[in-house]
Amino acid sequence: MEFFIQQLTNGLAVGGIYALIALGYTMVYGVMKLINFAHGELFALGAYVGYSLLVTFDLAGALGPAAAIGLTIVMVLGLVGLAGHLLERAAYRPLRHSDRLAAVVSALGASIFLQNAIMLKWGARHRAYGADLLPNVTVHFAGQSYPLIRLLVFLAAVLVMTALYAFIHRTRLGLAIRAAAIDQGAAKLMGIDVRSVIAVVFVIGPALGGLAGLLVGLYYGQIDFSMGQLYGLKAFTAAIIGGIGNIPGAMVGGLLLGLVEALGAAYVSVAWKDALAFVVLIMILVVRPTGLLPERVAEKL
Amino acid sequence: MLELVDLKVSYGGVEALHGLSLTVRAGELVTVLGANGAGKSTTLMAVSGLVKPSGGAILFNGERLDRLRSHEVVKRGVTQAPEGRRVFGPMTVEENLKLGAFTRRSWSAETLKRVFDLFPRLEERRTQMAGTLSGGEQQMLAIGRALMAEPSLLLLDEPSLGLAPLLVKSIFKAVKDINRSGVTVVLVEQNARAALKLADRGYVLDVGRLALEDSAVNLLNNPQVRDAYLGSR
Repeated sequence: MEFFIQQLTNGLAVGGIYALIALGYTMVYGVMKLINFAHGELFALGAYVGYSLLVTFDLAGALGPAAAIGLTIVMVLGLVGLAGHLLERAAYRPLRHSDRLAAVVSALGASIFLQNAIMLKWGARHRAYGADLLPNVTVHFAGQSYPLIRLLVFLAAVLVMTALYAFIHRTRLGLAIRAAAIDQGAAKLMGIDVRSVIAVVFVIGPALGGLAGLLVGLYYGQIDFSMGQLYGLKAFTAAIIGGIGNIPGAMVGGLLLGLVEALGAAYVSVAWKDALAFVVLIMILVVRPTGLLPERVAEKL
Repeated sequence: MLELVDLKVSYGGVEALHGLSLTVRAGELVTVLGANGAGKSTTLMAVSGLVKPSGGAILFNGERLDRLRSHEVVKRGVTQAPEGRRVFGPMTVEENLKLGAFTRRSWSAETLKRVFDLFPRLEERRTQMAGTLSGGEQQMLAIGRALMAEPSLLLLDEPSLGLAPLLVKSIFKAVKDINRSGVTVVLVEQNARAALKLADRGYVLDVGRLALEDSAVNLLNNPQVRDAYLGSR
């Protein structure tokens, strides 16, 4: 039982990270009907920006761990959001009226460019956040102890997802984003500047992906320049499982995938962990080709 | 108020509108008639800024609309209930109306009341998903939504399409009421007889060109129009 609960909480933390990345895929797809293949690289960028701030500049030493993490989160959101905006400007906006395939190729090119840029800047070797970066605190609950960071990662993911959901459903800009996702032409007729809506989506999605990168660094302590590929693929899978273009779907898909992986690794085989994730994808798509959440329940975005 | 001067629109090298000129004066209800593919919807889309003209000019109170982006056109007071209604199906009626008032920032209770007075059905269906409404209700929503921005010029693209005759009657009556309240209306229709009975003046398009232009009464009695668009009666 204890083992099971440990794996379960681990799965929820990892799932929260997948869900955060998946949100970026699904928001961009929702509005632009485009898979941003460079999204995984923006996630990795977040991990490296966090590394620079926390390790190279040793913010924790200067400010204490709590303030350092807080400042790092803000910086990662801002910088990776900015990177997402520049990516949209350079790689996607010029192609908005071209063939769909041109944008896909541009996305793949941007992915390769970003991955190599990260490698040139930070090197091809693993980077470690360092075990002593955060005090090694454990939390005791119901007769068991959990690493504090696991709890924090999960809580951060849930908090961000709730905030995003509220933003999409309670604000004027959120309403505009949903309208543009349903029908861009009709949204324009309402007086919505769809070009700015796309720009906003291309800041929020990457910012959340970058935050997920930082969380991975904090949770596992180790990052490398190609980490965006596997995480990107997993999160993309999560977005598809939930129904791409659908925000609650990305959350459900991410958490489900994290649980399947953690429990699969524990009870089936660690070596089959990644394969299991994709087996689940295939099984779900066979039964529900449009993903788990039917449109009516979740509505697009 | 609205003036199209030698307006040309092409889709991927194929010209759909070959130089159309027409004028709508403030307070008028003008109908634009013509068969499928005559360029009626294209004209409205060009005015709303959803397609870029390849030549000519669109003037609204003297300003070049064709140089503005679509959301700026709405801000100038030109809104549209487009062909096929295009309501936001997975959103509630109220959210659709809120989107109609998007450029107003805060939505006025007064405008909302006016829309509900015009279409009481929308008030009953306020919290219902727009996608679950009947065709007629969706059309009411499309028009009501376009009114929420308090336009001075309202463009309507085939509001009667696919609706039962009784519904068409009530929609057209609403259009007349809207016009009487001071909103200039351009009504694109295939239902020529009903549209001409409503309108002050009419334009008839034929494959991207202006074929006829006259007062609604004269067009109703024009033998050419009778044969081509009104059926024999």
